[in-house]
This record gives sequence, structure tokens and C-alpha cells, in this order.
Amino acid sequence: MFNYTFHWRPAFQALPHMLSGAVVTLQIAILSMIIGVAIGVLLALMSGSGNKIFRGIASTWIEIARNTPALFQIYMAYFGLGQFGIHLDSFVALLAGIAFNNAGYLAETFRGGLRVVPATQVRAARSLGLGSVSAFRLIVLPQMFRAVFYPMTNQMVWAILMTSLGVVVGLNTDLTGVTQELNVKTFRTFEYFALAAVLYYLIAKAVTLGARAFAYRLFRY
Amino acid sequence: MKLLLTAAVALASLTTALPAFADKLDDIIASGTLRCAVVLDFPPMGSRDANNNPIGFDVDTCNDLAKVLGVTAEIVETPFPDRIPALVSGRVDVGVASTSDTLERAKTVGFSIPYFAFEMVVLTKDGLGIADYDSLKGKKVGSTSGTYEAIALEKSVNEWADPAGSFRSYQTQADVMLALSQGQIDATVVTSTVAGSTIATGNFPGFVMGGKAPYEIDYVGLIALREEQGLLNYLNLFVNQQIRTGRYAELYKKWVGDGEAPNLTVPGVYY
Repeated sequence: MFNYTFHWRPAFQALPHMLSGAVVTLQIAILSMIIGVAIGVLLALMSGSGNKIFRGIASTWIEIARNTPALFQIYMAYFGLGQFGIHLDSFVALLAGIAFNNAGYLAETFRGGLRVVPATQVRAARSLGLGSVSAFRLIVLPQMFRAVFYPMTNQMVWAILMTSLGVVVGLNTDLTGVTQELNVKTFRTFEYFALAAVLYYLIAKAVTLGARAFAYRLFRY
Repeated sequence: MKLLLTAAVALASLTTALPAFADKLDDIIASGTLRCAVVLDFPPMGSRDANNNPIGFDVDTCNDLAKVLGVTAEIVETPFPDRIPALVSGRVDVGVASTSDTLERAKTVGFSIPYFAFEMVVLTKDGLGIADYDSLKGKKVGSTSGTYEAIALEKSVNEWADPAGSFRSYQTQADVMLALSQGQIDATVVTSTVAGSTIATGNFPGFVMGGKAPYEIDYVGLIALREEQGLLNYLNLFVNQQIRTGRYAELYKKWVGDGEAPNLTVPGVYY
């Protein structure tokens, strides 16, 4: 039988501590998205290019990022590189792992998004005198981002949830890390994990709602 | 005849009016199995042998407990942070998992009297210039999440407040050793038993002890659900008997080595 009396009062006293953990979680997620989007666009372009080496690099990255667990990628960034004397801080290792994962998934999303823009538009832009870079930047990219905006939001939520894997590489400042520390000190597992779950839910919900408002302003026809 | 009938009715109503209240101790004896949470990456208390069977001081203690209860022991491997969830969710009956008896934790689980005690030492690598506990100031240190030494070490790091220093907590002892051998951390604080057996394996060349950590002695108890007083009473007597019969000293010799087994009494106070 489940016989457990909840001690909510001491749990709520730890809330400020958990909120500071939530800030770290959000930081890692946002940074990993910025890096992931930048690399993802590059990978999408590389996989569509004529150069065999570029295509090889892009497909290797995408294959590994999408077909291995995020846990493994983060563990490799920390202990794998550590084996070769490269010591990433726990925060950086987690960020690198998630950014690597994000880039792989987003590259595929962007590849699909690029198909949305018909090649004739680029030709039209070029014939009007735009260079290839400005044609891509001004014509293709904005339309691509409109097409992939909601999948990107998904990836952002996924990135937030993936930050909880930081505990395996010793991170104790993010929301899961803080929660786990409180848990082991007091053994009040259910209270702290319930609070953490609510905080994760609120962060993820805020991101989706924020993204919807953002999209409404930016991408309305 | 009438008297007999009244007595029978009274007896029947008595047995129905009082629901059979079986506590955890009854449940264990009735089920024939004692499920123990044991941490298996914490040699010599718990680890696995070459055939992947659980071995160690805690494993033997669980087997002894099962024997006196007249049931079979089932070892449930449980990482340090998961000991209490395993207990509260009913996946195990007893934790034989070197659990430090802090007052904070006693709000949640019930502790038996101490069945073992640890001394903490600094474990570091050759050539890092760490000779004693105070030289950890400003160094990267780490330990296993949820252990007594992790909590004490983090507290020291916070008190030193040296910007160059940092504390990391890992999920398993194995990860701590990996991090130390790779140089992710400069030192850790572990029980003298773990330090001894880790250095003895020879898997980690360059590991050395860096002196004692000035913590209070870490007494560890068996754990059960807080409200299971019947079971906790039994556990107390079991620990007492282990020591009285010399089994404690025997297990210490078997798993830790020669030397005096730690004294489990605190001078100057009733338990």
C-alpha cells in the first residue's frame, strides 16, 4: 500500500532554490537552441550541396545525432572526451550534447523546410539582381523559418526536457540537479519531484504559448 | 449449551470485529522473501563478483537477516539516490545500503541502530599536491550524489567559497572514479573502505589517499518504513545480535580486512 504523508511546507521552502535551478535549465535550453539552429541550417545546406565531403559530414552528424540516445551523446561529451584529456565542464558538456542533438534533428527539419521554397523563386530573385547569398537570406530563409517554426518549438521543448540528463555528468545547478540534491538530503522524493514536474510543465507551456504569440506577430499572412 | 453458543458467537464477532492487522514483519514472514535494497557499486559493502553475483558486507548482512527470519533473501540492486523511493514504493522491505542516519532523513524513513560506521578519507591522484583535507580548497572535487560524504564535502566547498573550487555530484561511485581518473575532478572524499578497495583493484594507477576528512564518524543504519515499528524493533535486535555473536567482526574481517571493526557505540549518551 502507498502510505506516505506529504510534507509540503518544507518542500515549498525550497522553491526559490528550485526556481534558480529552473533558470539554469532555461539558459541551457536557449543556448543549445541558438547553437543548434545555426549548425542545423549549415548541415541542411551541406546535405543539399553538390560537394561529397560536405554531404558526408552532414549525413554522419545527422545519423549519429538522430539514432543514438541523447543520454549517450551527453555522456560522450563528458566522459568520452575526458578520456582524451579534453575536460568540458558539466554545464558545457550538457550544452554540447544537447546542441549536437538539436542540430541533427533541426537539420532534417530545415531540409524539409527548404523544399517549401520553390526553386523558381530563387531564379526570379537572381534575375532581379540579388546575389546568391542575399537571395538565400532574404527570400529562402524567412519562408523556411515560417514553415519550420512549429517543429522548432517542439525541439525547444524537447531541449528543455533533455537538460534533465545533466545529472549523469555531475551537473547540480539545473532544475533536476537541484531537485536530486534536495531529494538525497531529505529523502522527500515525491514532494520535490512533483514540484520539479510542475516547473518543467510550466516552462514548456510558457515556451509553446510564447512561440505561438511570436508566430502570430511574425508569420501572419 | 446456551453458554457455549454465546461463547461461539462472541468469538466469531471478536474475530470479525478485529481485522487481521498484519504489519511489514508479518508480511515478510508470510511471503517467504526478504527484499533488500543494496547498493552494488560500493565495495566492499556491495559489489558484483566475476559471475555477476552480488557480494559484499551488505549482501551478507541481508542474507543473515533473511536466515533468522526464516525466509529467502532477494537482493534488489538500488543506486544511492533511489534507496528511499524503492522503500516507499514497496519494491523492497528493508534497505541494507549503508544509509547514514541523519536527522533530516529520519523524518522520512525509520533507522535501526547503527550496523556499521565509516571514516572518510580524501582520494586523489599523484602529483596534484593534495596532502590533506584543507588543500582541497580551490580544487575541483566531486562525490556520489546522496552520500554522507557528498553532503559534507559540498558544505565545505560552499564554506570555502573559493571561486576556483567546484563541487560535482555524480550518480554512481563508478562515475566518480572515472571522473577522477580522467581529471574531471582533482579529488573526492570517500569512505576509507572504498578508498582501500579501489586502490587495491589496481584499475586506477596513480590514485592515492590524501589524508582523513575531518567529518564526524558516519554511522549507518538499516532502513525501513518509518511507521513499521515492529520491523524496526526486530532490526535493532538483529544488529545487536550480529555484534554480540561476533558475526559483525567476522564479516568485517572477511570484507574489509584485518584490524578492529569500527565501534558502533557513541560514548557518553544513551542511544
